[in-house]
Amino acid sequence: MPLIIKDEYPEKLFRKDGKRLDGRERNELRPIKMEVGVIKNADGSAYLEWGNNKIYAAVYGPREVHPHHLAKPDRGILRVFYRMATYSVFDRKRPAPGRREKEISMIISDCIEPVLFLELYPGTSFEVFIEVMDADGGTRCASVTVAALALADAGIPMKSLVTAVAVGKIDKELVVDLSGIEDKAGGADLPYAITWFNEEISLLQFDGDMDLDELNKFLDLAKNALTSIYQIQLETLKSKFLKLSEEPSIEKEEALIEGEK
Amino acid sequence: MEDNEEQLKNEESEQEDFDDFEEEDTSRDLVVPGEVLTEDTKSFLPGRGTILNKEKNKIISLNIGLKHIKKNYINVIPLRGFYTPRPGDKVIALVVDKNPVKYKCDINAKDFGQLKPKNTIKKGKGRGFGGRNEPREDYNTERYDIGDILVVKILSADRLNKPELTTVGKYLGKKFGGIVISINSPKIPRVIGRNGSMIKMLKNLTKCNIFVTQNGRIWLKGEDLAHERLLIEAIYKIASEAHTIGLTDRMQEFLINEKKKRGIE
Repeated sequence: MPLIIKDEYPEKLFRKDGKRLDGRERNELRPIKMEVGVIKNADGSAYLEWGNNKIYAAVYGPREVHPHHLAKPDRGILRVFYRMATYSVFDRKRPAPGRREKEISMIISDCIEPVLFLELYPGTSFEVFIEVMDADGGTRCASVTVAALALADAGIPMKSLVTAVAVGKIDKELVVDLSGIEDKAGGADLPYAITWFNEEISLLQFDGDMDLDELNKFLDLAKNALTSIYQIQLETLKSKFLKLSEEPSIEKEEALIEGEK
Repeated sequence: MEDNEEQLKNEESEQEDFDDFEEEDTSRDLVVPGEVLTEDTKSFLPGRGTILNKEKNKIISLNIGLKHIKKNYINVIPLRGFYTPRPGDKVIALVVDKNPVKYKCDINAKDFGQLKPKNTIKKGKGRGFGGRNEPREDYNTERYDIGDILVVKILSADRLNKPELTTVGKYLGKKFGGIVISINSPKIPRVIGRNGSMIKMLKNLTKCNIFVTQNGRIWLKGEDLAHERLLIEAIYKIASEAHTIGLTDRMQEFLINEKKKRGIE
């Protein structure tokens, strides 16, 4: 007899004290931690922890395109492979790429493409591999954010970074950064990404119902959240090099060795 | 082999690469893609690694690197990146495939380099008027084998076509023995140092022959393994601290200390 667990969602997505189920305010983000240069053999890589989401991204390129017929003679191509690990969600996820993964790979690719100079690398491909180790709502936004970081870490010329966040409606109230439960049980969901070059919208998907006034409010909310995520992205990229330049390492090592003696 | 070493000594003077890192007006400002370098577009122009925005009122960085102002140009010296072949570069290539018409060489770029047999044989003056009547049967690919390490010069390279290589010329040809290591190619100027100061110091202290090429590959050969290992460690250390100030002095200190610790002279 297989174990059958029904999807059960709480009736109210706000607690009695007015906070969300995980104790956040309406416009508060989940804790975010980023790191670059985590995969040694990749040209560039990044790791992101966004709440319960844990995502790795690795970038290779420019390199030859396989299969060869995908290569474009006048420009390079950006290929994104978004995959979820079998253990990343509650039910075991089948490892073969499904409809959802293909769609998300495509939208991430379309979202990042405008900031790259693909026309400078004809006949080549840049490949981004995104592996979701743990998923809890908003993985497509987190994947865009981490893929942009990995591309910058690989030294590929970019007009700017790309940052994404999901805003949505739960119990008829607007909130930022939906978690897994809020995403499924809530009213509306709006993943939103911008490039910081001229601050153009690069991704806007929508699910649920809302009116035009609400949409404008959503975008304002998202902008504030994006700015704070962007700051984390900048700090992460810089900290890798700043750490080394601040401390003259030899003296410190010597001090340590003497201390041990 | 002796010739080879002599050649390497002569090479030092050739490897004078500009080292923007050590220049005084290189600021230590670390910038990332999309960061605004300046909003004063009247007195500054966008240089290497930068771009103007749509309204033409901001200069924006394209790479992760160090901000560098030269005259009225703002440049960004990249800290990470990949090698783009340019005509005239001398690079270390690995023969990965061959057929009777050409060799395929891995030069650490997006395309494989092509080495044609006619570019591996020095053209002498044949018999007859004006050096015509060259023997055609010399044009085969038996000179090098798959897996050989070659020092090649790039004859032509552009965005669309595969780079064409040659082994005819000074210091070019097959390398015998030694070790090849590779680092990220934007860090190569730092391994050479200003007017070759870093590479001279490395050579003197480790008694190794070093051949540094623009595609990020470094060939080295020393008296014994201990010296070679020390040198490899030193080069990786340079690569990881490439953006810091006073690196040559620090590396000298590091090498002297390590030599004492390991008991090698």
